[in-house]
Amino acid sequence: MYVPEIELHECDSIEQAAALMTRYGGEARLLAGGTDLLVDLKTQRLRTSHLVSLRRVAVLRGVTLEEGNGPRSAGAFVRIGALTTINELDAAPLVRRHCAPLLDATREMATDQVRNLATVGGNLASAVPCADLPPILIALGATAVIWSRAGERVIPLETFCVGPRQTALQQGELLVAVRVPAARAGFGAAYARFALREGNAIAVASVAAGLALADDGAISELRIVLGAVAPTPALVAKANTALIGRPVDDEAIERAASIARQAASPISDIRGSAEYRRELVDVLTRRALAAAAQRVRENRT
Amino acid sequence: MTLVRTLLVNGQRHTLAVEPFDTLLDVLRDKLNLTGAKKACNVGDCGACTVLVDGRPVNSCLVLAVEVEGRPITTIEGLGEMREGVRELEPLQKAFVHEGGIQCGYCTPGMVMAATALLSRNPKPTTDEIKNALAGNLCRCTGYAGIVRAVQRCENYRDDGTCAAKRDGAHVPGRISRESAAEPGRYRSVGESLPRIDAVDKVTGRALYTADIRLPGMIYGKILGSTIAHGTIRRIDVSRAAALDGVLAVITGADVPDTTYGVSPARYDEHVLAKQKVRHVGDPVAAVAAIDERTAERAVALIDVEYDELPAVLDVFEATADGAPLVHERYARNIGTEVHQHFGDVDAAFARCDHVREEVFTGNHIYQCPLEPHAAIARWDSDGTLVLYTSTQAPHYVQYMLAHVFHIPVGRVRVIRPAVGGGFGGKAATTPLDLCAAVLSRKTGRPVTMRYSREEMFHYGRGRHKQHMTFKLGVDRDGRIQAFSSEIYLDGGAYSSFGVATAYYAGSMIPTLYHIPNYKYDGYRVMTNKPACGAMRGHGVPQPRFAFECLLNMIADDLSIDPVEIRRRNAMDPNTRTVNDMDIQSCEFRATLDAVEKKSGWRSKYGRLPPGRGIGIGCGGFVSGAGYCIYRGQVQLSHEKGPEPFQKHSIFPHANAIVKISEDGMAAVCMIGAAEIGQGSDTVLAQICAESLGIPVSRVRMRSEDSDISPIDLGAYSSRVTLMGGHAVSRAAAAVVEMLRPYAAKLLGCESSEVRARDGKMFVEGDASRSVDWAEAARKYFNENGPLVGSGCYKPPDGLGGDYKGATVGTSPAYSFGSAVCEVSVDLETGKVRVERFTDYHDCGTPINPQAVHGQVEGAIVMTAGETIMEDVQFDAKGRILNPNLHGYLMMSIKDAPEIFSDLVDSYEPRGPFGAKEIGEGATLPVLGAVAHAIANATGVWIKDLPITPEKILAALRERQRTTDVPAAAAVGTA
Repeated sequence: MYVPEIELHECDSIEQAAALMTRYGGEARLLAGGTDLLVDLKTQRLRTSHLVSLRRVAVLRGVTLEEGNGPRSAGAFVRIGALTTINELDAAPLVRRHCAPLLDATREMATDQVRNLATVGGNLASAVPCADLPPILIALGATAVIWSRAGERVIPLETFCVGPRQTALQQGELLVAVRVPAARAGFGAAYARFALREGNAIAVASVAAGLALADDGAISELRIVLGAVAPTPALVAKANTALIGRPVDDEAIERAASIARQAASPISDIRGSAEYRRELVDVLTRRALAAAAQRVRENRT
Repeated sequence: MTLVRTLLVNGQRHTLAVEPFDTLLDVLRDKLNLTGAKKACNVGDCGACTVLVDGRPVNSCLVLAVEVEGRPITTIEGLGEMREGVRELEPLQKAFVHEGGIQCGYCTPGMVMAATALLSRNPKPTTDEIKNALAGNLCRCTGYAGIVRAVQRCENYRDDGTCAAKRDGAHVPGRISRESAAEPGRYRSVGESLPRIDAVDKVTGRALYTADIRLPGMIYGKILGSTIAHGTIRRIDVSRAAALDGVLAVITGADVPDTTYGVSPARYDEHVLAKQKVRHVGDPVAAVAAIDERTAERAVALIDVEYDELPAVLDVFEATADGAPLVHERYARNIGTEVHQHFGDVDAAFARCDHVREEVFTGNHIYQCPLEPHAAIARWDSDGTLVLYTSTQAPHYVQYMLAHVFHIPVGRVRVIRPAVGGGFGGKAATTPLDLCAAVLSRKTGRPVTMRYSREEMFHYGRGRHKQHMTFKLGVDRDGRIQAFSSEIYLDGGAYSSFGVATAYYAGSMIPTLYHIPNYKYDGYRVMTNKPACGAMRGHGVPQPRFAFECLLNMIADDLSIDPVEIRRRNAMDPNTRTVNDMDIQSCEFRATLDAVEKKSGWRSKYGRLPPGRGIGIGCGGFVSGAGYCIYRGQVQLSHEKGPEPFQKHSIFPHANAIVKISEDGMAAVCMIGAAEIGQGSDTVLAQICAESLGIPVSRVRMRSEDSDISPIDLGAYSSRVTLMGGHAVSRAAAAVVEMLRPYAAKLLGCESSEVRARDGKMFVEGDASRSVDWAEAARKYFNENGPLVGSGCYKPPDGLGGDYKGATVGTSPAYSFGSAVCEVSVDLETGKVRVERFTDYHDCGTPINPQAVHGQVEGAIVMTAGETIMEDVQFDAKGRILNPNLHGYLMMSIKDAPEIFSDLVDSYEPRGPFGAKEIGEGATLPVLGAVAHAIANATGVWIKDLPITPEKILAALRERQRTTDVPAAAAVGTA
């Protein structure tokens, strides 16, 4: 139960980090908060001989408000540096003002001790299916900012995870930030998770809902995202197509829950059977969607 | 590549060589000797390694030391202002000391650091804020109640270390009933909620546990466990391991004694290392000693073992089927122990009953999970004495077993028990660590330390047996019990361990709570290819008690009798010989029922709560020490001669104490081998010692950790220490007072028989104004006679238990009784249970230390409520544990813990010291049934297999929807 005898490389810039990662290829891993990585190394789930520490790459930290220019962020958006810790995210005034639904997730994640170490980038790039931030970030319409020597590319976050512990990052690429559209009138989001213990428990199933309503109360966009019940966080596109233009009433909520349930492809494990997880997806979808609708109303007033 | 880095720890700069892969925890502990932060899980699940970096709490096991270079790090050792070379306690630390926030102390440093960080950013946190901040710190002892109180009330300790405020509405410390009624205020130390005598050491990180101790020249051992559940070893190749730099010894089954060991003399079925056969995943196969633990771990991985795999049996039904593979050749049908007891005539009685109900219940596989992993250090002294430091709750049995395995006299084995971070039965037996460390030390000539990782603890096992129970209960029309029969299959795992006793306990304790005129029990302990089960808190009884309480509640519903009332009608009475010959003296069970009914508001809640909310009752009790011990004193003088014949009665007393007074008369050293494992025995025994001597408890020091110093006490199991150790100590102290009397009488000018001792004085009975200093009398004695030493011992009285086979198990000088009411809310859409509240009344006799008693109750409630709804060791089809860690195996966090009201009823046990009896194990027993009943009451469905998970509840609710239109059973509030 020791970290194996790896070589640790320190660097001061993204460029250096990327160069080291390229030099060592598959033999190297990035070290951010370390709360997953060190456990994986100690338990030999993961073997690697080089770690590239990002701690001195200050540019990767912090939360800023930026003006948008892309199609999915025409308005302002909050840029969250990949090295921002969960507790820094939770405490950031910009987050509280512009993307408060993230707090649904940050407050339930792991423990205070882990939240002081674990980073936003790590929670995304580890690509663990039960991670808490991806569903709510995807529901909020977040994008991933990916750096390479050739420049930055920005992709929808729902395309970032491609499999369990696998991401869309290519050789030489680093996740440097996520961008979350700032709160806007007519939009609300919420995250509901289920775990077997009140404190420090991994999600058995989770559902995030992002909801945009037109002035007449009709759904203009519905982003239901499932966590822990599929190989990757799963945006349920069908819920959007099925419910667009409808009011958020009991029938719509039932429909969304039923679609989400069918979209889930859970496994059975020590935390619950696949069938139970489907049941949870149903319940959590209803709860997340109702909470999101409530927030739309609150955002109006 | 070793790096030189500067760490800023507790305000001091340390420039030192670190490896890039060293965690901060390892550097703090191994290089800076700051052992307050504990390695209890090593993967961020438990919080025991919490330190502050930049003022923020982090798991130091999840941080590489080089990553925090130059940043301020604060450990528990850095708390408090330095004043004249001593660090003063912070108010928070004082609050932990006085509010019952500490028991075993292993979680304490991490807990205090997390709370320190909270208070620095939020000086007046709400209860929810406290729970959120501490949700990453697991505690197995306190039930978190004392911890929450400590953080809430730490402001009260800002100016001085005043004692705890009286608990709101709870039992007032110092209330001594009957015996003292004639003389109020008779006692000074006994009956007081004094802080633990080891609390300051534990709250400052100063307390040393086995893994904190480093002996000169010490090396590190590690065990290789089997990777398969059942098979024979074809070949072991240790050459690669032995060739690794830093490896000093490698041993296999060929290098260890042929002698088998275990717990019950008739069932010694374990080898130090597998000789040929492996019987469960993790079964010890080989061991290594190396210059450090990392090297030992690497070496173990280099040992090549080839197995011939055999089919494994993983549950009791598979194992007892015709033609099933045998785990041990000697146990036919894999049944290691079979019990058949029949008192009265159950068949005839069932025929007369107005109502009979039979149900099948299933328990779960629970693990004790003490926060401190097992650890040992072995050393052979030059005179051939084996010295073992070990984290154990039964030092004497370890001593006995080492003597047995190594063929040396018990007197040549010295066992030292450093601070122990919880046991709950998981540290009651001699471990492979104890034995392998001894073998490796003999081989290398160096002290060898060995520690289990959290995962290895699960593989070692010794947790609660999973029991499969078919229970049949018959009553008359008023609900009075006429007959009860039970058949239990206990899933024992691969070795007997404590299992013989477990199988008997599962039956023997049922008739102690209610009058059962006709009683039958058939028990089978079955060997399976899983880690051995052992004695866990409540030993064998919690699951049968759960099943019985559920069945009684079902019958109450069937007959429309209130569940509290049906218990009153059947409740045990004092001075009763039970149907199975258990000799009950004091019994205030009815009083606990009345009190819990009233305090919980039972009548206004039961049957009146909305769906999703429920209330339930459960009861239970336990022995105050086993009336007969595991071996009865037959000493094995030489291996050739063999042990003396087994006999029913103990040759030696079960508890023995020496009280030695310093030559200036100012201090008493109380020596007794009773194991302080966090339950507070040192404190309770010091109180008894002080009371019996007539001096303040501050003048008593306990020496209980070293078998060379302290006479034999059988250890901390069967809830025995307060009663048995208490008697031994009070008798030793009384002997001292007896020796002092003539000297005091001479000084006082009175008769010896008139001399009394209290408050550090010796005075004439009836005239306290005629007094001399206690110390002066003691000095007089010393000057004339030399050392003032008294000794005392305790043997259980003769005549406990009957003459039938197994009659000794369950016998005790005294029995505890308790009733608990549980309130839950259940999310009917997900099945999730929130245990909201517990109201608990116990008859533990007259408490020696009420706060310690409540601490046991609070801890037992949270541990056992978690056991009821979430704890379960799970196995795959190959016998591998799926959740050998504290994120897969769930114990309640501080956010899961219910609100608890604990109180005691007036009681006096004539066979207990100062009227006391047990609390530690008995407090677990009402809990499972109460939680299960409350869930049934909230949902209308009974879940009869543990743990009662959300998934099972939801499935039962769905099943009921499918099969019936009736929305709820009679038990549900809305029905």
